[in-house]
Amino acid sequence: MKWNSRTRCAIVSFGFVLLFSAFSFRLIYLQMIKHDEYAGLAAEKHVIKQPIFAERGTILDANKEVLAHNVPVETVVADATRLTDVEATVDLVTRELELPRTEISEKLQTDRRYIVLKREVPKANADSLREKLRAQNLRGIYFEQDATRIYPNGVMLCHVIGFTDFEHRGIQGVEGSMDEYLRGQDGYRYIEHNRAGQEIVLYRGQERAPRNGFQVHLTVDLNLQNIVENELDVAMREYSPKKATIILMRPQTGEILAMANRPAFDLNQRSEAKPEQMKNRAISDLMEPGSTFKIVSAAAALNEHKFGLDSYIFCENGVWNYGGTPLHDHAAFRDLSVKDILVKSSNIGAAKLAVSLGDQKFYEYIRRFGFGERTGVELPGEIPGLIRSPNSWSKISITHIPMGHEIGVTPLQMATAMCAIANGGKLLTPRIVKSITAGDGKTISSLSPIGLRQVISPHTARQIGEALRGVVSDRGTAAAAAVPGFAIAGKTGTAQKVGPNGGYEKGKEVVSFCGYLPADNPQFVGFVVLDDAQAKPEQNYGGLVAGPIFSRIAEKAARYLDLEPHEEIRKAIPVERVALTNSSRH
Amino acid sequence: MTRARRKSWNSVGAASLARWIVLTAFLALTGLSYVYLTLQLYHLGDRKKALETEVANLRMQNEVASAQIAALTSRSALQHRLKEGYLKMIPIAEHSIVRLTMPARNQEDAVQPVSIQRVVK
Repeated sequence: MKWNSRTRCAIVSFGFVLLFSAFSFRLIYLQMIKHDEYAGLAAEKHVIKQPIFAERGTILDANKEVLAHNVPVETVVADATRLTDVEATVDLVTRELELPRTEISEKLQTDRRYIVLKREVPKANADSLREKLRAQNLRGIYFEQDATRIYPNGVMLCHVIGFTDFEHRGIQGVEGSMDEYLRGQDGYRYIEHNRAGQEIVLYRGQERAPRNGFQVHLTVDLNLQNIVENELDVAMREYSPKKATIILMRPQTGEILAMANRPAFDLNQRSEAKPEQMKNRAISDLMEPGSTFKIVSAAAALNEHKFGLDSYIFCENGVWNYGGTPLHDHAAFRDLSVKDILVKSSNIGAAKLAVSLGDQKFYEYIRRFGFGERTGVELPGEIPGLIRSPNSWSKISITHIPMGHEIGVTPLQMATAMCAIANGGKLLTPRIVKSITAGDGKTISSLSPIGLRQVISPHTARQIGEALRGVVSDRGTAAAAAVPGFAIAGKTGTAQKVGPNGGYEKGKEVVSFCGYLPADNPQFVGFVVLDDAQAKPEQNYGGLVAGPIFSRIAEKAARYLDLEPHEEIRKAIPVERVALTNSSRH
Repeated sequence: MTRARRKSWNSVGAASLARWIVLTAFLALTGLSYVYLTLQLYHLGDRKKALETEVANLRMQNEVASAQIAALTSRSALQHRLKEGYLKMIPIAEHSIVRLTMPARNQEDAVQPVSIQRVVK
């Protein structure tokens, strides 16, 4: 082989061809075969999926007053590996965020890259800290946008509204039950950032906008709620009961207009609340209803045509031996009409009405009134109550259940049953959520009343209503529940309190009153119950403790709803009573 | 001599030169425009980001203000002010209330109220 210039040129050219072919193959290998892998690795370095948080929906009352909404806050975090001056940073952070120095010092003298220093820092404080960090040229402290839930009314309606946890999940009340609608859906955006961590907007990738949570409108009217809460506070001061509940409902639709319990807690300071303060007793507490339950046996007997409203029943002069056990009345009644059994609240009369029906039929009516099953209200934690089936009843159960013993109901079940009497015999599902709307006002869902069943005929409902009207009269047990200018129907209840070890506790009563106004065209049903009220023994009755509370609430509610008083009733009210009521208003 | 010089003279085509100059200028301008527009894109991106931040801040301030308004106009706050004496309210006397005939309320799906009157036998 001759090493002439041509050969050398050929060898060099061949070498170049080989070299560039190798480069080409490498390029093809990197750009095509390994493209996805390396693109992924590069994306991991520079591209991040940035979440765009959805705003949680607000909760409003029936008049669009804000009950719960969001306020922007920031979470202050640190990257201990990027701190430029630990001591100066600790000084500034502890001073600005009012945190213990030792705790922050310990946290920052590590090599952790993500340390949460403080959550829910108000924006003004965060801005101040940010400015000072910049002025002192301190690095390694970062701020994350967040939001916290605030409740402008604090204690008011606390059990109904509920609250969220620190991850913004509703865990109680409407916050919990309507979480699906309130929560919204977070969006995201793929972004690239430069070495300094700043976004390169030019390379912004796929993006999905967040969907903010819906607004939930409650049936509760804050004006009525305020009336109820104020009267409940007065009752707590006056009688110091262990617990108390008041419910106002609209009988035609089942809407809950007000619901309040004591003890209660401040929603904005929920971390300090005790578990017993957080319990919504209107739906999660069992109570023996006492004589308010007599409406069930009377309604059942009338509906089954066992008796007429004016049929007389022998009430055994105050003591009736049934099943080897004496049953007592609070007075020695001889013959009472069915109406008067309710007016005078005769245990023996109510028992005889139930006996005339028989175990099975009476049980059927109890269930038809909704006892023993959840009402279906949009609140979490509701209990079904406690009703035993007739095959587990004792011989005397048929005489005790009509007067509200041997049975456990919730206050809401009792109010719902009274609504059925007030609206002509139809059992409705109680509602607390009126509608759900989007941020632009578009209605997503409007909740109409749900009629469950016709419990009793309208005629029977009218008869019971008339009897209950007599209860709130000078002849009845709830004269103190009267409201000047209005006809009221209602029923008192006084039940001995069941002790923790079973059996009844002496001297401890659960007093209640359930009624509606105006009796001839009911606009609201109210239920008042006080557990273990500290009243004098001779005064510790539903008609004397719960009745006046209902009266005050009903009077104020009637004024607020602008219900027209009946002139003839107004004139019939004694002057002293009117004067007393007027003076108590101020 | 002059003749020889003439022979070695390389003539330059004015048209060709002009074409190259135009082409080069065009390419240079295109390149510069590309660089300028790319920089503009970055600049506009930064402005967009700044505006987004500003809008987010304004929205945040709005939310803070809304929260303050809600807190200050809440029933609890107003009652507190009423108790403090900051607000004064005078109850309306019964004789000052003029009642109008109540309009019939027509609620959809509502169960009709039942009039409780004496049962006629």
